Amino acid sequence: MMVMAACSPAVPEEATELGRTARILPDNGGATLPPNIAPLNFEIQEEGEKFVTRLSSRSGEEIVVGGRTVDIDVDEWHQLLASAVGDTLWTDVYTLQHGEWQHFERMANPVVGDSIDPYITYRLIRPSYVNYEELSLVERNMQNFDERTFYSNMPLSQDGNGQCANCHVPQRQGQSGRSQFHARQAFGGTVFINGKDISKVNLKTDSTLSAGVYPAWHPTLNLIVYSVNETGQVFHTLDPQKIEVIDYGSDLIVYDLDNNEVRSLTRTGNDYESFPTWSPDGKTLYYISAHHELQGESIDADLDQNYQSLYYNIYARDFDPTTYRFGPARLVFDAEALGKSASTPRVSPDGRWLLFSLADYGQFHIWHRSADLCTLNLGTADAPDEQGDLNSPESDSYHSWSSNGRWILFSSRRIDGNYTRLYLSYFDSKGHAHRPVLLPQRRPQHYGELFRSFNAAEWMTCPVGPSPRNLEDALRRDARQARYAGSALATPETEETAPEQRITKQNFHNIYEND
Amino acid sequence: MLRRLPYTLLFGIIAFGVMMGQLRPYIVETGHLTPFLTTTVFFRETLDASALGLVNYMGLFLQACLAKPWLGVSLVTFLLVSIAYATRWVVRISDVWFGLCWIVPFLLLASYTQVGYDIYLSKGPLRLFVTVVPLLVILLLLGCLLRPLWKKKEGRLLETRWGYIVSVVVFAAMGYYFWQTTYKDKNFLNILEMKQAAEHDDWQRVLTLSRENEAVPTRLQVCLTRLALYKTHQMGDQLFATRDGDAAYNTPKQHPWLRIIGAPLLYYHYGKLGFAYRWAMEDLVEYGMRPNYLRTLHRVARFNGEKELERKYADALRHTLFYEDEETLIAQEAKEIMPLTNYTDMLDGDDGLVEFYLLQSFALTEGGSREMVELSLMCSLITKQLEGFWPRFMALLPTWKDGVPRHYQEAALMVAQLQGGADTSQLPISEEVRQRFSRLVEASARLGDSANNAYSLRPEFGDTYWYYYFFVEGMKTY
Repeated sequence: MMVMAACSPAVPEEATELGRTARILPDNGGATLPPNIAPLNFEIQEEGEKFVTRLSSRSGEEIVVGGRTVDIDVDEWHQLLASAVGDTLWTDVYTLQHGEWQHFERMANPVVGDSIDPYITYRLIRPSYVNYEELSLVERNMQNFDERTFYSNMPLSQDGNGQCANCHVPQRQGQSGRSQFHARQAFGGTVFINGKDISKVNLKTDSTLSAGVYPAWHPTLNLIVYSVNETGQVFHTLDPQKIEVIDYGSDLIVYDLDNNEVRSLTRTGNDYESFPTWSPDGKTLYYISAHHELQGESIDADLDQNYQSLYYNIYARDFDPTTYRFGPARLVFDAEALGKSASTPRVSPDGRWLLFSLADYGQFHIWHRSADLCTLNLGTADAPDEQGDLNSPESDSYHSWSSNGRWILFSSRRIDGNYTRLYLSYFDSKGHAHRPVLLPQRRPQHYGELFRSFNAAEWMTCPVGPSPRNLEDALRRDARQARYAGSALATPETEETAPEQRITKQNFHNIYEND
Repeated sequence: MLRRLPYTLLFGIIAFGVMMGQLRPYIVETGHLTPFLTTTVFFRETLDASALGLVNYMGLFLQACLAKPWLGVSLVTFLLVSIAYATRWVVRISDVWFGLCWIVPFLLLASYTQVGYDIYLSKGPLRLFVTVVPLLVILLLLGCLLRPLWKKKEGRLLETRWGYIVSVVVFAAMGYYFWQTTYKDKNFLNILEMKQAAEHDDWQRVLTLSRENEAVPTRLQVCLTRLALYKTHQMGDQLFATRDGDAAYNTPKQHPWLRIIGAPLLYYHYGKLGFAYRWAMEDLVEYGMRPNYLRTLHRVARFNGEKELERKYADALRHTLFYEDEETLIAQEAKEIMPLTNYTDMLDGDDGLVEFYLLQSFALTEGGSREMVELSLMCSLITKQLEGFWPRFMALLPTWKDGVPRHYQEAALMVAQLQGGADTSQLPISEEVRQRFSRLVEASARLGDSANNAYSLRPEFGDTYWYYYFFVEGMKTY
């Protein structure tokens, strides 16, 4: 038995049963836990003169903590969790009121044997609009509370020469040691990390819309598919959803790191392709695409007016790893038919499940309360499973599969509707996502006091290699210019074989004019 | 001791007098613009932000104390006086030369009072607050090291009459320098005072300050005055009678000052809640967790019914140094703002042009609550877009129980005239307004070209909508 806290707490021998669970912050009651997660510290939000909490497993291991704040020793926690694998971790809260001990209903957390990856990375950023100065890319050890900033914007932001660093995305949960992130403006460029080596490349070419935005590393090849986007933000005058992030132009490109070549995958005017992702075997590329016919003179004004009728479907293209060429597009999930819009598809490591967010419209679902995570069984292609245990009335969106495919890391605004927090949900072999657990913090008050969002989180099997200083230095250097090398399609698409059968003459002309 | 006392008293009087007197609005604003929370996360973030994290944290704490001017100014003055005394102690200077010990305190104080508009752009504590405590500590440490090396009687050898004279002259010169370089721009201080009154919903005070200001106003002052006129239901009678202007902000830095200083406040009170929240958040990202921004974010979250978000901001405000419960104020504000939110949400952008956006937005609005229709009417008059005048005027007519406000009467006569002399005899327009309008038409015909008209007609008609419509042109809206 392990006992913590200065006042040597003892579990009361007699207590009145209250018949309800205690109010605690954060409340992870019922969430399924991995065997290697950091302690789930919490604060008891009940009246009382004294507090005692017992965490225990069926094997007889237990931790007893005194006080309102339950701060659990990391080593003892892991010992307790190990004893509860395949079974349940129980939490009993006792409070002393008017000289009498009271016992709240026992809370139960199933503990499974499937581990989570030891690290995650995310961007810490205020839920901002146009300004973004104070942002950092952070690595978190999931087994304790260690957090390391491996890139901070502030040292590079002087005299208005700032930049925005985008999501840090690894190849195969970092198993290859490769990852990348993109910076815009002052020291702009895409930074590629390979172990401790760093390079910086300018992916913007005269023939593409922008530099790479949303990346998808091929699982084995040194190849990344990016969306290239002309993105804008527009603001609601009243709606508490506050912002719409709209792509006024959007295509896909392929970047071959070994040859420093950019190729176009889609170059369509009325179709807005984005958020690419690979199947684990590297033979299929999934992405989302919406179709919109220009109804006025300006696409910006047009989409600002019609943003609620922009529906994204999920498409796929076969990829030949020997020729590096892509086949024609096929529809995988018709969200539009449901009056919905899909975004950020991700295929599970076993290739069976497609996980994506589904909302009423658009693709930037972090600002959409209607956004929920769904799964599609790629084998049966049944209707998507809405994963009720996972979702909330607020936005549930950006997600990542752990390397063993059993854990989903995702973003949710369920606490307050505005500040994104990270949750972990166990995904069992039957395709069911369990009640998620909030990313643990040492201080239970942390999220309440923190005015930053956790953004674009990804699992990592190992730490990010380079030091912050080396990354800063790399960003300060001039970027190597990528070469444009034409289309990545096996067969150039005509009007009849174009991706969504909707490419207009004008767009068709544009595709080849620029090649 | 007696020789030191006059310097000490004089410095105290000067510092305290200037800060608590003319600069009081500046002091208060500095306090409310200082991001300082008593939370663990804020402490850690400040420490992690730079190598001087702890110094910055102390500086922010000291600066935040200015939100209670008596406390903050007393603290600052005490610390500056301490620096003078510590200097004397370190160098074992004779009292004859004590005046020289005030050079640094005056320079430090001036470094704060010179800042002016740039307090809005400061991303950390101002120099005075980040310097004063470490300097004091350094002096005390130096004193411990150096004092044993000095020989006391050497100091006494320098006690001459010239010492007194030089000492007094240097002290006086520093006092003069401090006063001369202190930023005392009347519009700036007036803006701050108007803004602070508006933040407490003291609209009569805003109008009083507007009237008291003798300088040509900036657009921000005009906007605050117009908001106060709207809030006090005097817009229809007084708006074109109050002083208009587009004086430049007296600072070499060309920033959108109206946006930076006034956007959250103006948007909030005019019911453009998304934009109020947006600019408060943008600036929070840029300049830190300033209490002023948190207040706007809290108010908008509350208005939106975002309970948990409201609680988050309320908790943050409770962790500022001087939390004031504004529950009654906020409830009253919400009641007043509610009618202005009776419109369909839309996606929009203002490009930072707050006044222009508000004017155009209301001028182009159709329908809505009574308050919205009146603002639409007024904004269409201000922007001289008269196409929708009659529907709005007629919709409001039954609601003017105490008579049609003067400017709307003036506009009705003028619009009728411009539209070919439509019959206005049935409209409730006072005889006085009708006679004035007749005089205007006669004078206008008599005087000829418009430039002459503007000059000649101003004394008699300068407070009318007619004068504004015909002669006020090219006014900036930023």
